[in-house]
Amino acid sequence: MSMPVTNPLRIGLRQERVVPPQCLVIFGASGDLTHRKLVPALFELFKQRRLPSEFAVLGCARRPWTDEIFKEKMEEALSSEIKENPKEWKLFVQNLFYEPVDLQQPDHLVRLGERLEIIDKLKATHGHRTFYLSVSPKFYGSGCRALAAAGLLKDPKRSRVVIEKPFGRDFNSAQTLNSLVQSCAKESQIFRIDHYLGKETVQNILVLRFANAIFEPIWNRNYISSVQITSSETVGVEDRAGYYESSGALRDMVQNHLTQMLALTAMEPPGHFDPEAIRNEKAKVLQAAKLANEEKPWECCVRGQYSKGGSNEDPLLGYREEQGVNPNSTTETYVAMKLFIDNWRWQGVPFFVRTGKRLAKRLSEVVLTFREAPVHLFDAAGGCPTSNQLILRIQPNEGAEFSFEVKSPGSGMRSRPVNMEFSYDESFGEPSDEGYVRLLADAMLGDPTLFTRSDEVEAAWRLYTPLLEKIEDSPWELPVYQYESRTWGPTESDLLIGKDQLLWRRP
Amino acid sequence: MSPQLTLQTPLQLPPTEIPTYLDQLWSHDERGDKGANTFCLIIWQPAWIEQKLVKTGKIPGPIVGNQRIDLIEAARQIVLEGDLPNSTSPLDFRVQSSIQSEELIPNVEDLRGQHIDTSISNLQPRRLITIAPTIEKENNLETLVAAYCPLPEESGGKTACGDVIVLRGNKTAISDGLEIVETLVPDELPSWLWWNGRIDEAPEFLNALSLPNRRLIIDTALGEPKVCLNLLLQRIKSGQAVNDLNWLRLRGWRETLAMVFDPLQRRNALDNLEKIDIDIEGTQSVQGLLLAAWIADRLNWKLKNCVSSKKDLIKVNFIRPDKALVAVSLTYLPIGKPSINPGQIVGLRLIAKANNKQKNDICVILASESGECMRLEAGGMARMELIEQVVPIQKSSLENDVARLLSSSRGNTSPLLASATPIAKEMLNLVNQSK
Repeated sequence: MSMPVTNPLRIGLRQERVVPPQCLVIFGASGDLTHRKLVPALFELFKQRRLPSEFAVLGCARRPWTDEIFKEKMEEALSSEIKENPKEWKLFVQNLFYEPVDLQQPDHLVRLGERLEIIDKLKATHGHRTFYLSVSPKFYGSGCRALAAAGLLKDPKRSRVVIEKPFGRDFNSAQTLNSLVQSCAKESQIFRIDHYLGKETVQNILVLRFANAIFEPIWNRNYISSVQITSSETVGVEDRAGYYESSGALRDMVQNHLTQMLALTAMEPPGHFDPEAIRNEKAKVLQAAKLANEEKPWECCVRGQYSKGGSNEDPLLGYREEQGVNPNSTTETYVAMKLFIDNWRWQGVPFFVRTGKRLAKRLSEVVLTFREAPVHLFDAAGGCPTSNQLILRIQPNEGAEFSFEVKSPGSGMRSRPVNMEFSYDESFGEPSDEGYVRLLADAMLGDPTLFTRSDEVEAAWRLYTPLLEKIEDSPWELPVYQYESRTWGPTESDLLIGKDQLLWRRP
Repeated sequence: MSPQLTLQTPLQLPPTEIPTYLDQLWSHDERGDKGANTFCLIIWQPAWIEQKLVKTGKIPGPIVGNQRIDLIEAARQIVLEGDLPNSTSPLDFRVQSSIQSEELIPNVEDLRGQHIDTSISNLQPRRLITIAPTIEKENNLETLVAAYCPLPEESGGKTACGDVIVLRGNKTAISDGLEIVETLVPDELPSWLWWNGRIDEAPEFLNALSLPNRRLIIDTALGEPKVCLNLLLQRIKSGQAVNDLNWLRLRGWRETLAMVFDPLQRRNALDNLEKIDIDIEGTQSVQGLLLAAWIADRLNWKLKNCVSSKKDLIKVNFIRPDKALVAVSLTYLPIGKPSINPGQIVGLRLIAKANNKQKNDICVILASESGECMRLEAGGMARMELIEQVVPIQKSSLENDVARLLSSSRGNTSPLLASATPIAKEMLNLVNQSK
């Protein structure tokens, strides 16, 4: 008999919250995100029986599709998934609807309102609506204004808006967008999504820290000497050149995903597990964070751009040779920087953050390096004892590992490091959900814990403002160093961390 | 956190005037607020033991309907004094009949339905309708109504008010007033019935209140196992949403057992289980049957026969998909200080034989305390590869469990419970037939 992939005793055990009656309205329903992430996540929720029978998805976009076309498109996109669950899909697809809507046309919004009324009656969704803006960021503000003008956001208990990243381009634009959106809906109705926060392993940072008595007492400057946060991709810019050229790694990854990981790693324990308590602590720690040298950001930040690489058989283009990229582009595809957090817990502890495209491996992790033992009593196999490290692996191979010194076998007393591992795959009898599954459910449940609040977003932008201003005003002070594709970034980034006698972890 | 009382002293009104009063109450809201858009909860709240203990002066009043500590302690004392078996749960119906009561104290304050536990009030129910039968035979129907609001700091500033209605009186009086209940349930909101009493104590009321479209919360630990499982199965088959608190209390056992077999290297043992022993407190067998049925259902076993049904032991056989036999036994243990809920599981032992993929015999022991672990280790279990774990006792209160159901579920019957119940029922039938 073959080994079952899922533990049969595990099936159905999760005590998941079920979404209340709901109509999810997706703007940008003809786009990539809808068929790649959103509808698959909804189908997953449906299979897990977490969607009520009083549920509908209304796709909206400018294309003149009908309900049937929308269903067909989704069916095409999810074909392999449907093959495995044809019965479930047959039931699920009955909940899909489509309405051609241009958010800039007030009469379209009136029509949308009427269609929603019809769906309310048909599916008994009781006017509970979640509007998901999966549209170009430039339409976030006007989209919210249009929804508010059509009266679709007037009931704060029954309507909410989900906004994708990026939320603004810098501190000022984020502030403007926040005040615009907040003029249309209450903060409790606004869900700024960062899909990284939907990952089990990112949420596990909170559990690891605050559900275990052994970590919190040593989670501070007295025991931790440095923190590294890495998110690396092996892929290049692919078909996102248009967006990426105007954003770069700093805006695309650091300001949101990496900063959220930083906040969860460094925040103070909340008084209780309550959305506002958690978001208060995250906002506080971000407000205390700063670049290691705000006056001279080039001292604490390295930008890079991938050049060609790969092998003769599989050559890889450099960023400037990619389709849609300016051949003289100075957009960074790599960024590494050093931050400090000015509070009692973290004073003097450097936080190194790096992200990049076309790096050697695809991974995301948080590495906490502990201070060395005060006295070295033993010979170490590597010359000197290695500092203990706690590594929180966000992806892939989700889990955690702790490295510590043990006695090497033999007559002497030599030490060498070993790893103690925890792997999600091995420890749990079922696979984790995609981030969007969790986040979509939470948004429809009205649980904002894993969504970023306005002050968090602004604090994150404020943190990088000196850097963004310098890149804008005197880019020559922050040059873009080239690095070969599928390496760990420019040499300058090693020099950056080397100033603290540290090395980037090479997992 | 202490339970909350209503905002105002409840108003006693004739039943017929309540709907008009409630309409007025909400139409006077200046913001046009019609109250929380959540759910309506009907509670059958007899609190027989509490009523008797308070009215005989064994514990101080008022009667509130919650499982408070002094109530449980007094009930345990009754078990000791009343010549009941030591393993009798303090909520067992025999406790009530053992309370000596020549004379009842008159005019004891009865706050049932007004004493809203925080875990429930935090969910902002739109309407709570409490049916509070009294032990006195002569009590007429009293109907009380009041508005309530959760405290702002507890609900994060999002206050949404609701109202509470109490129907109090003897069974005849309640029966007369029952028809008003349906007129008070808002059509547009989900409605729940929490049957907070023995399942077999008032079938006429249970039937009248648990309409097919109403989500039902029952506790199969309270009542004759046969009646409990019959009702559970009948309601599941009819498509009604049923939530069983006794099943909910099994979650620690299900989770811990699943956890044992999460590591891939142990997964094979599930195909080679050949013996399961379940120890339960007292003689109420439903939880034990449901646990055995859940395992059997998950592993695709088919019930074969009942081998033995003694006073303190049930033995049945299942057949695995590979046609091998699995022996399952349920032992009733005379525990000295049983938990509040009757028939709770205290120990579980699974034995899997070695095979070509698994080198040693495996013995998994889960127990609610280390003493039970030692009991289950006896008989040479240590010769096998032993996996032992103490299952944390659920400290959650009854109200917390109900709140968990109200908040975490759309009310639908758990598919696991729906699959396990017919097997549990079949096991009980076989056992009863073989007696």
